[in-house]
Amino acid sequence: MTGTVEAELEQFTRGDIQAFETLFREYQGEVYGWIVRIARDPGVAEDLTLETFWRIYRARARFDPHRPFGAWARRIATNLALEHLSRRRAEKPLHDDLPPRAAACAAPDPALSAEVRANVVAAFGELPAKLRAAATLAMIEETPYEEIAEALGISVSGVKSRVFRAVRLLRRSLEKRGVRP
Amino acid sequence: MNERDEALKELLKRAAGGPADRELKRDLWPEMLRRIERPPVRVPWWDWALAAALLVCLLLFPETIPTVLCLL
Repeated sequence: MTGTVEAELEQFTRGDIQAFETLFREYQGEVYGWIVRIARDPGVAEDLTLETFWRIYRARARFDPHRPFGAWARRIATNLALEHLSRRRAEKPLHDDLPPRAAACAAPDPALSAEVRANVVAAFGELPAKLRAAATLAMIEETPYEEIAEALGISVSGVKSRVFRAVRLLRRSLEKRGVRP
Repeated sequence: MNERDEALKELLKRAAGGPADRELKRDLWPEMLRRIERPPVRVPWWDWALAAALLVCLLLFPETIPTVLCLL
């Protein structure tokens, strides 16, 4: 870490709003980009980005300026995104829980029948939040396992295990619905 | 990943429409600043005192709890 960045981080920990603004502007895109990969909804990702920085701002006094800010921000963002997925799973009926179809994200393949897609989405929505996040990042977003592990605060083998469990549950759920990928 | 897993991955990607658009379309700083500058909600000290007094009363006279609940 360069001296300038460290000095800025020190100023931020002391509550300097300008230093926080600099950090915010530097990292908001990165934090948003990470959250939208998990939540797959731009509106939700914006809200969670703001919440991430709000938590960062409130916890500034506890931050060690010698540690990387980006990794800290990403960890907080990941936890918030996981909380969001858990809440959504608890609140919404399964057919509405569409991480893949979320507005303004990529559109589904039109060649895929609506019925198959609905089944895939329903099966995906049944996964526990931690497994869903790992599966989304690894299988849809093709994020490297090392990157996922760092953000989730687990080992690479932990990520592989979550993806494996997600795949097993998904396959079982899809087979029950008559879909055989 | 084996062949079956790859097929499942492909199906998921097709249903999802591929990776999300990761670009932030607007600057969120003005909203952040509004949140920082929003005055914190302060509870007046007499409200705390009232709550504490009520709690003490309920602890000393637990038989009044159903009456208090009815009043709420």
